[in-house]
Amino acid sequence: MNKPLKLTVLAAALAAGCSTVSPVANQRLEEARASYQRAAADPLVQRHAQPELQRAANALAEAGRAAKDGSSELVEHNAFIAERSARTALSTAQGRQAQLDLVAAHEERSRRLLQAERARAEQAEAERARAEQARLEAEARASLLGEEKAKHAEFAAAISGLESTGVRARQTERGWVLTVNNDLLFESGTALHSGADRTLDTLAQFLRKHPERSIAIEGFTDSMGSAAAAERLSERRAEAVKFALVQRGVESHRIDARGMGPNFPVASNDSEAGRQQNRRIEVVIRSAGAPGDKAGEGATTPEAPRRQ
Amino acid sequence: MKTIFDVKRIIYLSFAALAACATTDPPQSELSAARAMVAQAQPVAEAAAPAELANAQVTLARAEIAMLHGQYEDARLLALRAEADARLAWTMAENARVQRALQEERSAR
Repeated sequence: MNKPLKLTVLAAALAAGCSTVSPVANQRLEEARASYQRAAADPLVQRHAQPELQRAANALAEAGRAAKDGSSELVEHNAFIAERSARTALSTAQGRQAQLDLVAAHEERSRRLLQAERARAEQAEAERARAEQARLEAEARASLLGEEKAKHAEFAAAISGLESTGVRARQTERGWVLTVNNDLLFESGTALHSGADRTLDTLAQFLRKHPERSIAIEGFTDSMGSAAAAERLSERRAEAVKFALVQRGVESHRIDARGMGPNFPVASNDSEAGRQQNRRIEVVIRSAGAPGDKAGEGATTPEAPRRQ
Repeated sequence: MKTIFDVKRIIYLSFAALAACATTDPPQSELSAARAMVAQAQPVAEAAAPAELANAQVTLARAEIAMLHGQYEDARLLALRAEADARLAWTMAENARVQRALQEERSAR
């Protein structure tokens, strides 16, 4: 910018030193100079319109020379060219800056659009993943529910199979309790008779199918005879049932066998019918996942009141 | 003798006239540049810089007339001014176009 300024100063000095040109020409020259200085002071012009500014400076210098020569016409002419060139420089600079701003704004908008697009895609993906997760969870729940239902149905079928052999089943907080009259199981003493096979087969089959379940076999007697003898007998009978189940493929550690003797009667021992009901085996099928109750549990936490 | 003197004078005068003419050639290149610049500005500057365009057109017409009349120095200066006006008109139109595009870009979402 130094050169145009120097030229301007030179032109001004030349013009000042000469008064032979017309006042109109002098005025035009002053206007052109002012116009040039406005343009030269504009940082946008400095940055974007040096050639246009130079054209104005050259014309001003020419006007200065013309003033020295006393040619009003050439002063006016070059002042005109300088003034137009200065305005052109301003307009050019603004246009070029706007062009740069336009490119920047366009890039900015493109970036914003791209970001928004990416965010939308990410959100859609997250929603899709959430929906998929929910679907999988629902499926898992449904399948779990189905399994539960199937188990329940199977269990109910097994119980009803047992009931058809004369076993009475009831649900308690310890699990299912199956009650079988000794008459249905034992010929005499602890010898099982052949009619017991179906009951034992069905029970063993159920236990083999549900390895997670354990059972307690409890023998009961009526109140006839000595209590000690009755307890031993009831224990041997429980053991006999356990042995029969082990023979049918049920692991022995899953089965607790114990004798309760005449304790926990389910009917009065005053009549033969009542005593017959009290002579029985009870099989407790513990709930799945319930802690295995140990021997003696039947005595300490009896399922009293034992209702019929 | 007198006739010869007259012929000599005529010849001298003719040389002088030719010499005067030779100091100012027809400003063909200046006029061409002015015509081209006006033609470039006209389609875009009618709306954005009508006054500047009109100045350029009128000045160019005066330059053409001066050219026809053999007033070459006048024609040269007028052509230069017409070109300067046309350049300004074109630049203003171009600036206006870019500013408009910038506004549109900034208001676009």
